[in-house]
Amino acid sequence: MKHFTKLAVAAVVAGVTAGAAMAQELYTPNLSYRTGPFAATGIPLMNGQADYMTMLNERDGGIGGAKINFEECETGYSTEKGVECYEKTKGQAIVTQPWSTGITLQVLPKTNVDEIPILASGYGFSPMMDGETFQWAFNTPAGYWDGADMIIQYLESQGSLEGKKIVHLHLDHPFGKEPLPVLEKLAEEKGFELVPIPVGLKEMQNQSAQWLQIRRERPDYVIMWGWGAMNAGAITEAVKTKFPMENFIGVWWAGHDADLKIVGEDGKGYKSISWSFPNAEAPVIADIKKYVVDAGLTKSNPEEMEGVFYNRGIIISAILAEGIRKAQEEYGTAEIDASQLRWGLENIDMTEARIDELGLTGMVPPFKTSCSDHTGKSGGWMLEWDGEKFVKASDHLVPNTEGYADLIASSAAEYAEANQPWPVNENCGG
Amino acid sequence: MLYRTAGQFKTTYEADQALFPVRQDAILLGVILLCAWVIFPLTASEFAFQTLLIPVLIYSLAALGLNILTGYAGQLSLGTAAFMGVGAYACYKLITLMPWMNPIVAILLSGVFSAGVGVAFGIPSLRIKGFYLAIATLAAQFFLVWLFEKWAWLYNYNASGAIQVPNLEMFGVYVAGPQASSIVQYYVVLFIVCLLTMLCINLTRGTLGRTWKATRDMDIAAELIGINLMRSKLTAFAISSYIVGVAGALFVFMWRGAAEPNLFDIPLSFRILFIAIIGGLGSIMGNYLGAILIVGLPVVLNLLPNALGISIDSALVEHLNIMIVGSLIVFFLIVEPHGLAQLWRLIREKMILWPFPH
Repeated sequence: MKHFTKLAVAAVVAGVTAGAAMAQELYTPNLSYRTGPFAATGIPLMNGQADYMTMLNERDGGIGGAKINFEECETGYSTEKGVECYEKTKGQAIVTQPWSTGITLQVLPKTNVDEIPILASGYGFSPMMDGETFQWAFNTPAGYWDGADMIIQYLESQGSLEGKKIVHLHLDHPFGKEPLPVLEKLAEEKGFELVPIPVGLKEMQNQSAQWLQIRRERPDYVIMWGWGAMNAGAITEAVKTKFPMENFIGVWWAGHDADLKIVGEDGKGYKSISWSFPNAEAPVIADIKKYVVDAGLTKSNPEEMEGVFYNRGIIISAILAEGIRKAQEEYGTAEIDASQLRWGLENIDMTEARIDELGLTGMVPPFKTSCSDHTGKSGGWMLEWDGEKFVKASDHLVPNTEGYADLIASSAAEYAEANQPWPVNENCGG
Repeated sequence: MLYRTAGQFKTTYEADQALFPVRQDAILLGVILLCAWVIFPLTASEFAFQTLLIPVLIYSLAALGLNILTGYAGQLSLGTAAFMGVGAYACYKLITLMPWMNPIVAILLSGVFSAGVGVAFGIPSLRIKGFYLAIATLAAQFFLVWLFEKWAWLYNYNASGAIQVPNLEMFGVYVAGPQASSIVQYYVVLFIVCLLTMLCINLTRGTLGRTWKATRDMDIAAELIGINLMRSKLTAFAISSYIVGVAGALFVFMWRGAAEPNLFDIPLSFRILFIAIIGGLGSIMGNYLGAILIVGLPVVLNLLPNALGISIDSALVEHLNIMIVGSLIVFFLIVEPHGLAQLWRLIREKMILWPFPH
């Protein structure tokens, strides 16, 4: 026992000293998951994120003259490893990207004490959009409640929802339950019937029971809050039971090209809401090809680079880079710290012009964050699978955040109350 | 030489029956306790507390609970994680219903609930044995996790279905929740783990422990010599579940800070079973050795490449890690199928005889 503990202590000491040696760069760790049950979706996202940062380092020498150290810490989507990674990286980190709802929930209270911003783009706890309460958490550019609202908006544009039946097929996990409050509220307002059907984590791949129930319910639409293996399972099962694909809509994490490629032509018409879009013509892609792919610095491949998830990774890194840039301009230093980055992330203004300037043309809708709004309300597009790839099937949709503003306020207040003492930023004032 | 027992005379029965009849053992334990209570807390970084010291202690305690049942009483169980869940949820309800309650008292009380549930699921053990019983406890695993998910009262109707640890104070110091500092949490965990370990050492050496061992070795023979099998098995289930429940409460309240039902699923049960088996069934110390190997080693292995200045991709490190830990488990089980505790016992024997082996 003594031997092992000695070894452990020695290793920890060595690890800490090795960590202290690096400086003169911005340390933005990413808690990646390239292994484990969700690796298939994690790899393109992580590759997209890493490639954008590598491109900035190669092309511009980092951001504002400071190199980005975009180190990955592997979690395998396990909450336990996620916490380990957070503890390991938080020393010099100016931001943390937890990459799972479970890890986000766990590190959320810790970051409030450690004062490190969390960047959880499009996932995590929906009330995080309330920047006054969740000072250190960002789910820029859109949260799950925005997604739920946009999906209902889109369905409404196809005809009134009065008296219709909508199934909410979701992973039986905090992630899947996240949009329920908003969907329930909308069901009441718009007069449709909501039927939540949970899919247990263990039967993700075998959803015959759920689809039998869906067939019996005869819903007009099916909304899916799925992730990883669950999506492929649901899509193949929907094809098997001949559910009309055009009435089947997923959240942004349920729009992974590889899941749809399994069914190919049969999946035609399947939709997924998204706040990002792959645009192969965008200048940023050309730059990534030139500085990263041709230099042999990427782990990606041409097929993956055309996909929705790889491109979403690029957008997430671009949001972080923009936050860093803003903070550098404001504080006049290249080496910003965590609290300065928070200011930066609170003042992102992605106008159409700025999006073009960054070379992200058509890849993300414009959005603007503020001290009290940590989401930015980018809205998004409805993407549709045309048998080979995802194409845009709608104009730019904007969530009606006013509709559930009181829900956000009450959930945020509840969270703060349950976690007393929870410092809030009262200087925002809306 | 190193462990020379010559000259240590025992003149009374008490001395012969003492916890540590060999002086060197007592010294060794003293050194370990000194490290645990003084040296580690003084030198450890935040990272070491959160990823090595606290989890190793909590996992050791959970394995200790399982070991009472499986190692001492011979009842196979695969429901450890679910009983941990009962402890955690009970503690959550106690704290939220009675916020004035002392956190340590709440943690120790929450074990009572899991003891009750453990006994209920232990009743089949009166009729069935071995693998059949393992399957019966597996039912607990499925049923309880399902219950944590479906019974909204358990998580206070939280929208996400997860439980969050609030900030808990004790004598003006935060002991749980995000405001609590790691060193305080470490001491709370260490205190409870030491307390329960001491209890277990004494229990297993006493009448109850001998009853359990008799049940384990041959239950019919045990019954013939007048041991009440029902009492023996059910006490084992109760005490084991109590300890596992306390470990579960510590797991969530002193370490994780939040938990979703799925956390208490089979993989966690297996992990604790591995710790108990690799550490050594029927040994108290084995649980600690097993937890250090299964919980601590991967963390250390993850740090090694960086510490040695080799830059390897973190996903590759993770894969290598799984391979190394896996092969080490196989290696240890081949070298010593009775676990690390037995390995240590052999080393100790050799050291006592050294340099004149027979």
